[in-house]
Amino acid sequence: MRERPGPAPYILLAPFLLIFAVFIVYPLIRSLGLATERSFGPGTSDFVGIKNFRLLLIDPLFWKAARNTLVFTLGSVFIQLPLALLLALALNRPTLRGRSFYRLIFFSPQLVGLVFSGMIASLMFEKRTGLINKTLHGIFGFSLDYPWLQVHIMPMLIITALWMYVGFNMVYFLAALQNVDRSLTEAAMIDGASKAQRFFHVTLPAIRPVGAFVVLLSIIGSVQLFELPFIIFSQTPYGGAGPDNGALTLVMYLYREAFETGDLGYASALGWIIAVFLFLAGLGQLVITRGEKA
Amino acid sequence: MSAARNATKSTLTHAPLLAAAAITLIPIAWMLCAAVKSGEDFKWLFLPRGDGFLGIAWDHLTFSNFTRLFGEAHMGSAILNSFFVSSVSAVVATLACAAGGFALARYRFRGRGPITVLVLGALIIPPPLLLAPTYELLYHLSLLDTFTGLLLPGIAPAFGVFLFRQATIQSVPRELLEAARIDGCGELRAFFVIVLPLLRPMIGAFMLITFLMWWNNFISPQVILQDPQKFPLAVAISQLKGVYYQDYGLQMAATVVSVAPVMILFLLLQKEFIAGLTAGAVKG
Amino acid sequence: MRHYSLGVWIVVAIAVLSSVGVAVRGGHKAEGLTMWTFARPHAAMYRPIVDAWNENHDPGVDLQLLSLAAVEHRMLAGFYAGVETADLIEVERSIAGRAFTGPLEAVGFTDLTDRMREEGLIDRINPPSFGPWTSRGHIFGIPHDVHPVLLGYRTDLIEAAGIDVTLIETWDDFKRVMRPLIVDADGDGDVDRYPLAYWPTDLDKDELLILQAGGALFDADGRATIDTATNAAILAELVSWCVGPDRIACEAPDFTQSGNDLKRQGYAACYFFPDWMCDVWNKELPELSGKLRLMPLPAWEPGGLRTSVWGGTMLAIPKTAKDFDACWEFAKHLYLSDELARTLYRVGDIITPITEHWDDPVFDEPDPYFGGQAKGRLYIQMAPHIPARSSSPYNRRAIERVSDAGMRLLEYAKSGEVYDPGALQPKALELLHDAQAEVERQMARTAVFREGDSSKTSQDNPGGDG
Repeated sequence: MRERPGPAPYILLAPFLLIFAVFIVYPLIRSLGLATERSFGPGTSDFVGIKNFRLLLIDPLFWKAARNTLVFTLGSVFIQLPLALLLALALNRPTLRGRSFYRLIFFSPQLVGLVFSGMIASLMFEKRTGLINKTLHGIFGFSLDYPWLQVHIMPMLIITALWMYVGFNMVYFLAALQNVDRSLTEAAMIDGASKAQRFFHVTLPAIRPVGAFVVLLSIIGSVQLFELPFIIFSQTPYGGAGPDNGALTLVMYLYREAFETGDLGYASALGWIIAVFLFLAGLGQLVITRGEKA
Repeated sequence: MSAARNATKSTLTHAPLLAAAAITLIPIAWMLCAAVKSGEDFKWLFLPRGDGFLGIAWDHLTFSNFTRLFGEAHMGSAILNSFFVSSVSAVVATLACAAGGFALARYRFRGRGPITVLVLGALIIPPPLLLAPTYELLYHLSLLDTFTGLLLPGIAPAFGVFLFRQATIQSVPRELLEAARIDGCGELRAFFVIVLPLLRPMIGAFMLITFLMWWNNFISPQVILQDPQKFPLAVAISQLKGVYYQDYGLQMAATVVSVAPVMILFLLLQKEFIAGLTAGAVKG
Repeated sequence: MRHYSLGVWIVVAIAVLSSVGVAVRGGHKAEGLTMWTFARPHAAMYRPIVDAWNENHDPGVDLQLLSLAAVEHRMLAGFYAGVETADLIEVERSIAGRAFTGPLEAVGFTDLTDRMREEGLIDRINPPSFGPWTSRGHIFGIPHDVHPVLLGYRTDLIEAAGIDVTLIETWDDFKRVMRPLIVDADGDGDVDRYPLAYWPTDLDKDELLILQAGGALFDADGRATIDTATNAAILAELVSWCVGPDRIACEAPDFTQSGNDLKRQGYAACYFFPDWMCDVWNKELPELSGKLRLMPLPAWEPGGLRTSVWGGTMLAIPKTAKDFDACWEFAKHLYLSDELARTLYRVGDIITPITEHWDDPVFDEPDPYFGGQAKGRLYIQMAPHIPARSSSPYNRRAIERVSDAGMRLLEYAKSGEVYDPGALQPKALELLHDAQAEVERQMARTAVFREGDSSKTSQDNPGGDG
């Protein structure tokens, strides 16, 4: 590491620092100011201090959004990530033929993009005419009127997100698995370790850093869930956040308050709560992984 | 291991993988079918049934969705805009992030600690929180309805700086830099001549990620751009949607058109992409 | 340098080439006044009028087509930040109310009331059409339409079932007369046809039915009036349509491909038809041409209202407009002409709100899609009677909560096997009470009216009960 590098690091960092200061720090400070104001709709506001935060904590819609977001996050972390790991393990077999073919297929939903994935999902999960209910009706005799888009909204979103992102997370795990030192697994095999033992005692610890990173990214992404339900429900007759606010997530609530109700103060306060929560999650993650390493 | 056992084993791996692949592909197949169907054939789940080969009414299939798509005004310019926005962002952001990430990883200087914290901290900001203040700011800078206003806020994302910092730690040996300095190579020249080539995998991966992100980006161009001639594909296509009715055939055709370029790019950059992700994820 | 992947070089090449392409193409400089519209058919109808106007007017008008979401985004972002928007904006009802939060002087649109009164426009336009654009007695836009609602029915299905629709005057008649339609043709235990396409999740239909029945979610002063006995009775009746042995309604959503499939199959026999819906069916379901007829809505009681209202648009001039007088002249030229009235109807099946054009023979032309009915005349007969609507910024949220209450009531009816509207009413009132509390909480937080504002509310409201 260079002790006295001169201006070089500042020059190299200049584009980032400049953009960061102007387009992140400044709007962020501005939003902090907004969070302490009460908006009367377009163009007028009063200073109210921390009142927006107090109102948020007693707002049932805020808690509903928080619950929905939590359910989705748990679904992503506990259903999607294990499946991604499973797929990666299956693809990691050196003798497997067609690996890049599978990899491309599992990754392809990512290429379709959010707007169209949302549009396709809104069609697939329709009552009576949607592919999913038709298939379930045909094979298992499920009701054609199973209300995915009306009642079982979070499971619907978890399934859609699974389709979209499992391939992406799989690529992370696959990359990590390919970096696992083969001699370690082979040594364990010679020592007579069973397949399960090898997985839990050799492979899993070896990919732990990547795993932690993927979990953190997954939590950040899930807590910021917004565009997917927003697009799906803009395609349905109910619109907005779905029946009974079933698709309301924290960031969607933020968006609706800011751009539909026009209460920028309330929205900013909500944004800051989300940011603080994610900060704590990240910190917790860091403490846990560091703790285990020590 | 006997040949028979090998065969069973390979079936055991392939069967669930093939099933998963099929499930993944069904919506995409559905999209492809929808793109070549006309409105009244939408009642068929995939292709319209009839008395043609395989029981499919091949004569019902139509490319009219595609011809209509390109007949719509601005579609050609939308494709150009999407290529412009995505590729310029990808190239500039890659350079800016590589420079920043390298500086954070390989120099000791005043402010390095706080800047590293900033980079990590930026990941937790929900983007809609900044949407309204950014709009206001762009207005005061007279950058609304310009490509500059659209691209500038995104040309040095903190996430990229973080990824390149990780990649540098992993694949740029300090000794090499020292050797270069002893040979009298300037710091900036060293970055372009020595460091960048070593960061190749992350460059490929990050370019792909940035390109994809901008290619599919929808909300910020919709808010910032006003002139329809400047709209990228995602926004132009969303304009095809009527307020009171939907034209799925047209929208699906548009999706097919918009997926093709990124699919090719993914195939070209697949190897770097995976290597790059590995580098980003270690030593979190 | 050769070691970089081909993909990287391709991206760099695209960047260079597309930059050249964009630079060569040059910019399109917006000239004169800009106008935003969100509807493709509107843009097509206005284009020739705009071009003719631009020939001999300076400044000219630059008409831009945006998606409704984009109009909403930019309009509101512009108002919140005090940033310039377009000089003329066509605003759909679902987003107009959002501009009316806060004190009157903070509304981003120019108040047109005095101009309209001075120039006699108020007397030339169908009075109830002002409703959604009027806040606290002030008018903020020129109405584009009336959008009365009729009932469209599949005459092929109804004749096959031997039903005579002339026997229907009220919803009770409708339920009784239409019963024979309910069949399970393939015998799979799943009913294949219901008389009416309605479900509590259809927000627009909830609203139009409540308005038709004389219910209201807001009073003239903009206060929420969700948990009234009237609304509870209406909601209980609507839910009783969707459950139990006397069920008549099913879910066949509009504007979706799946809904269109169900319409082709005839899953429901009758549909709510605002004037613009004729154009939607014409375009999306051409194969049903000749199989539909229109009739007035069944009333909630004998002699009651036989129509309602669904949707609407206005033309507004934001306060930041460059040249108000030029905008106003163009707005009047565009919206008031008999030429546009005919185009609106011919191209979009939309009835003009300018009453002097209602005698135009175009409205007597037979429409083959509806078996030769002169549907324009039917809609015009209903136009003066459409119910008055609130312009409250909280209207949408209020309907959402009412719809949610409806779905809860439906669950309650199913689980308790209570199907009688009278028996459902106490529970309906309880659910509406929750809805009221939630809407009030939001209103209290964002404080619609400042002191002194509400005093000028009810006087001279031209959009009142016409």
